[in-house]
Amino acid sequence: MVIKSNKKNYMSPEDIFDPNSKAIIIRDLVKKFDDITAVNGLNLEIENGELFGLLGPNGAGKTTTINILVGLLKPTRGKAFISGYDVSENLNKIKKLIGVCPQEPSFYKFLTGKENIELFGNLYEMDKKLIKERTEKLLQLTGLEEASKRKAKGYSGGMLRQLNLIIALINDPKIIFLDEPTVGMDPRARRKTWEFIGSLKEQDKTTILTTHYIEEAEALCDRVGIIDYGELIALGTPKELLEKYESKNLEGVFMKITGRRILEGI
Amino acid sequence: MMQRVFALTKMLLKKVIREPAYLFLMILFPVALTLTFGLAFGAIGTSDTSSPTMFDFMAPGLFAYACIFIIMLVAQSFTDDREQGLLKRINVTPTTSGQFMGSHLISNMIIAIIQVAVVFIMSLFMGYRPLGGIIGVLMAFVFMILLSLCSVGLGLITASISKSSGAATGISFIFILPQMFFGTFIPLTPTTEIIAAFLPSYYVTSSLSSILNEGSTINSEILINLGILAIMSVIIIIIGMFLFKKYSKN
Repeated sequence: MVIKSNKKNYMSPEDIFDPNSKAIIIRDLVKKFDDITAVNGLNLEIENGELFGLLGPNGAGKTTTINILVGLLKPTRGKAFISGYDVSENLNKIKKLIGVCPQEPSFYKFLTGKENIELFGNLYEMDKKLIKERTEKLLQLTGLEEASKRKAKGYSGGMLRQLNLIIALINDPKIIFLDEPTVGMDPRARRKTWEFIGSLKEQDKTTILTTHYIEEAEALCDRVGIIDYGELIALGTPKELLEKYESKNLEGVFMKITGRRILEGI
Repeated sequence: MMQRVFALTKMLLKKVIREPAYLFLMILFPVALTLTFGLAFGAIGTSDTSSPTMFDFMAPGLFAYACIFIIMLVAQSFTDDREQGLLKRINVTPTTSGQFMGSHLISNMIIAIIQVAVVFIMSLFMGYRPLGGIIGVLMAFVFMILLSLCSVGLGLITASISKSSGAATGISFIFILPQMFFGTFIPLTPTTEIIAAFLPSYYVTSSLSSILNEGSTINSEILINLGILAIMSVIIIIIGMFLFKKYSKN
């Protein structure tokens, strides 16, 4: 169900989204921090509606790539486009189009869960009715309705991560960046979050998921890009990669290419 | 645009109410301070209520005293937000840095107004009888709003050079202590008067003492002080915003 806004000047992600452009195009992207090259000539295209997994050990360049795409970092070289908009030139439009779930739960702990969600809805200039409807819908989907009335300070680790995810979705974004969304969750909460992330695909969202959980990428993603030392070392559907590298799982694929385990870097 | 500023301002005011440390620093501390000074130096309990007390001379400085601590509140707030990734999170929404800073300015102006009202009411309870009438009270609000802007700017400068909120608390005293000692109710010597000329709170206390204690109407000296304070607040805010933006990018 798509909830529409009555507000005249409000530009929804739907209004900005260009269905004829690819969701994400990355061309020769380089990011250096002094002598360290975090992203080294990355090339990647992600289709609309795709659930794409960016897999790699800690420090591989996953978060740096995401930070460039969402405008938190400027690339040293190269270009990146989101729905046809250049991230170096059209950041204002891009910000209205995307939703970002950072690695660490980031919101105001002295506010209740609901107040936090409403605050971020206001930052997207959504009208009050729309914020209320979206908030209720997302809380219902994640089962956080009761807890949302309490201050976030008292939330469990799993609840904090769920709220982190809800805030990223309040503006009903067309393209969603999820940076390690299930780190620290117990297996049950992780399963539930996987179901939730899977449901985003049914809503025709493009999702970019960074993770170092192999089973998460295998269970959820249409395609996976394995990144190491800032370079894309493998790209394809999980099935394609397993066949190509004659491996039982993506961990095996990574090991065959690099001689290391993904989890060694964690 | 206003929707974002309003939502952020509301959130910042809730922070002051819900975080005990901030509530104490911004509202309870000025109350306690006025009560303590009022009891120690005021007319309560004395037989002579006609001649001015020490507290009467201190009261204008108490207005400024409370507002100076906004420096610490802002410095802690920005460093906390930075440490918890909140600045980044807000940065990926369409909110501009101007809207974010603007909400801090508005919320702290509101806090300054509440502080003036609280200190004023408490002072009256402690026997303070200001001259200057309603104009005097209004001028107190105007001066305090400008002082609150200076404090936000100094808080931003503190946050820019502080690596953590703990460090921000300590570093904020670089700007708090000189204003406390040379810009409020402590008598100045010719030497300390030179230092005081560079402190925003000096112009507030000096003007409010003239209006509230001496019954001066708005004269050229007070208007010059107001002008100096306004220029100071603009310069400090610009430096604070510039440094904080630069630091945040790094």
